[in-house]
Amino acid sequence: MDQSELKSKIKRALLEELDLRGRTEADIDDAAPLFGDGLGLDSLDALQLAMAIEERFGVTMPEGEASRAIFASVNAIAAHITREKAG
Amino acid sequence: MAGRERIAVTGLGLVCSLGLAREQSFARLCAGERGIGPLRLFESRGLKSHIAAEVSGLDVAEIGARGEDWSRSDAMAFLAAREALSHAGHVQGAELSFALGGTTGGMYETERALQQLAASGIMPHDARRLLDFPLAVSLERVSRALGSVTQSATVCSACSSGAVAIALGASWLLSGRAARVVAGGVDSLCQLTFAGFNALGAVDPEPCRPFDVGRAGLTLGEGAACLVLELESSARARGAPIIAFLTGWAVASEAHHVTHPEPSGERAAAVLGAALRVAALEPRDVGYVNAHGTGTIQNDAMEARALQRVFGSDLAGLWVSSAKAQLGHTLGAAGAIEAAITALSVSRGYVPPMVGLVQPESSELRFVRSPNQRADLRAALSSSFGFGGACAVLAFEAPSAEARTLSRTVFSPVVISGAASLGSRGLLGGRDGSSYLVPSEPSAPPPEPLDLLDQERSRRFGRASALVVACSEHALRDAALEPAGTGFVGGSAFGDVQRSVRFLQKVLGQGPRFASPAEFPQLVASTGSGNASIYLGLTGPCLSVSEFGTSGESAVSVAIALIELGLATAVVAGSGEARDAIVDAVLGGVVGAPRSEGAGFVVLEALSAARSRGRVPLARVTEHRALRGDPGPTLSALSGPPERACVISGFLPAAVAGALARSAWRDVRTHVIPALLGFHEAIGAVALSIAVSEVASGHAQQVLVVTGDVDTFYLTRLEAYEEHA
Repeated sequence: MDQSELKSKIKRALLEELDLRGRTEADIDDAAPLFGDGLGLDSLDALQLAMAIEERFGVTMPEGEASRAIFASVNAIAAHITREKAG
Repeated sequence: MAGRERIAVTGLGLVCSLGLAREQSFARLCAGERGIGPLRLFESRGLKSHIAAEVSGLDVAEIGARGEDWSRSDAMAFLAAREALSHAGHVQGAELSFALGGTTGGMYETERALQQLAASGIMPHDARRLLDFPLAVSLERVSRALGSVTQSATVCSACSSGAVAIALGASWLLSGRAARVVAGGVDSLCQLTFAGFNALGAVDPEPCRPFDVGRAGLTLGEGAACLVLELESSARARGAPIIAFLTGWAVASEAHHVTHPEPSGERAAAVLGAALRVAALEPRDVGYVNAHGTGTIQNDAMEARALQRVFGSDLAGLWVSSAKAQLGHTLGAAGAIEAAITALSVSRGYVPPMVGLVQPESSELRFVRSPNQRADLRAALSSSFGFGGACAVLAFEAPSAEARTLSRTVFSPVVISGAASLGSRGLLGGRDGSSYLVPSEPSAPPPEPLDLLDQERSRRFGRASALVVACSEHALRDAALEPAGTGFVGGSAFGDVQRSVRFLQKVLGQGPRFASPAEFPQLVASTGSGNASIYLGLTGPCLSVSEFGTSGESAVSVAIALIELGLATAVVAGSGEARDAIVDAVLGGVVGAPRSEGAGFVVLEALSAARSRGRVPLARVTEHRALRGDPGPTLSALSGPPERACVISGFLPAAVAGALARSAWRDVRTHVIPALLGFHEAIGAVALSIAVSEVASGHAQQVLVVTGDVDTFYLTRLEAYEEHA
């Protein structure tokens, strides 16, 4: 899977799993922060996203602080999935 | 002004992981034993935690009524109620009111049915077993087994449910609606909550350590407790020993977040302070707090701050402990179990230890560190802080506590200052003396409930929550009421069954690690009220009730009780139900009207409060009854209708229709709302909302709203509001 396809799949996961009604893939910037001001997500969303990424991409997500860096942006999530798949 | 009478606790029943009976449980609790062990009820593979505080030795088949398939919750609630009533010297046959709090009812049994059905596909015939989980089922079965229950209600406010049920009992006694109440809470372990709390990362793999700096989450448990409550004069007249007095209560909502407590502890402190004020107690009078203390990072930090805010320098003389290190978090039962422990502590002069504490979160709090700690207590508090910010605090005093003047609840007539309904014809509301319909063009389609709401703030709502919040927002707005201090009671018969089944099928099929954390808080019975509280900013008591086809009517009854107890001056009450394929398949042909969906909400307000904000009410509630048993005597005692009057009914069982036909209202025109809008479990609330428009628009001087279900019936008489000189 190439990076743009992967990022598109990640965005779809974000929209569906976090019930971001009224938003589209185009509204999510690859490099923009997801939490805090970005999409207005909270820690419940972080838990949901971790579960969804494990389920949809078959990779494991670390718990707690370590997951924070991975959730920094769509780019960071894509990098994590690519790394896990390679390893 | 004469003070109000004290409420006596004359009986206690307790079922928990330390024992099936009160004395054994309390002795082992005070001795510091832990009732936590390996989870046996179901598979925990793939989860972070494999331990729980299970109730062992519960022979459900033996306890349950013959021919009925009882759940663990039914059995535990019945044992607790029976023990409490026997403790109180209650003679079977004497009139009794029953208030039961809880969150998941018979979900454990529903999950087992689902597991069996999952392989073969769900057929409507089998699906009936999937609808046996609501707490109303437990209420019905236990009421029948106890006998002579003439009034009953369920309440769900997440983890404060049991405490709120006890407050409801206090209201019934003080308003004269009941002479003796058995009130409490129950919850059994189930995979929904076990997988759900795991998904939220809120469980400790080791037995929980409330208030310890190393705490890592909660341990789930199960159990039940009931208290028998009556007025002091009643207990003294029949010579019943008084175990303790229930003198204070407070119920409120943080309106903050679905799973996180408000971190500063300011809201929780306000609720603790309010309970002290109701009881006319100073912080220094209180010798013990049975804390909520779940063992989660957030709750315990918040709670320690709240106690510091309220007790300040008096903390040195205040014992603190949480029973959850020994009994686990029993969710909807916890508020009742901990109330029972607190009442026993003031009665016996022993406080249970804070087990598992190595390094306390706060050095200012005086935790009970030794087993069998003696403590002569004048008063003690039991506090509960649930999901969605549902706070409840109860104050108990020793039987020897001196009687003093307690502020009297001033009963003000209840009026309706807003009403809205939402259904297949659209949204009907009333503002400034006239009613409005959205869409205004009759041929246009009705609005989608989610389109009426802010997209971002409603993004986690299911369809039922959207109906509930959109409809109640209009009722609140039409009443021009500030949300701060306003309460909410929402009826919910089954909740979002399809969504719950999807969640469970994923847990059962793919494994519990794929339980959805964001989905879980949307699946408990108090979801609708939690969402409404947070979305609308309501900080009064916010809870749900479940009573099958009369859930909306039960919500109105409970709301009136909250106002009568002084817990709020205004409460938004009603119900909303969305179409659900499983519910449709099972109940499709039962009522004789096609199934539909919708919501109805009214704003109930103390007349004095409406007057003081210069608001002219839409209608006055001149009579309201929620009773079990034969409707004949109540309906035949009704005074006759005025010239312009009508009857509006929701679901009307034959027995109630027959009694109405023999009453003074027999010749009055009757509008059967399910015949117009189809049937759903919130239709009674829609009927009430329509009745308000009838009265407010001047079409009728009086409207009698009559509805019922198998064993219950509800009667509300509305009258046009006229300002008397």
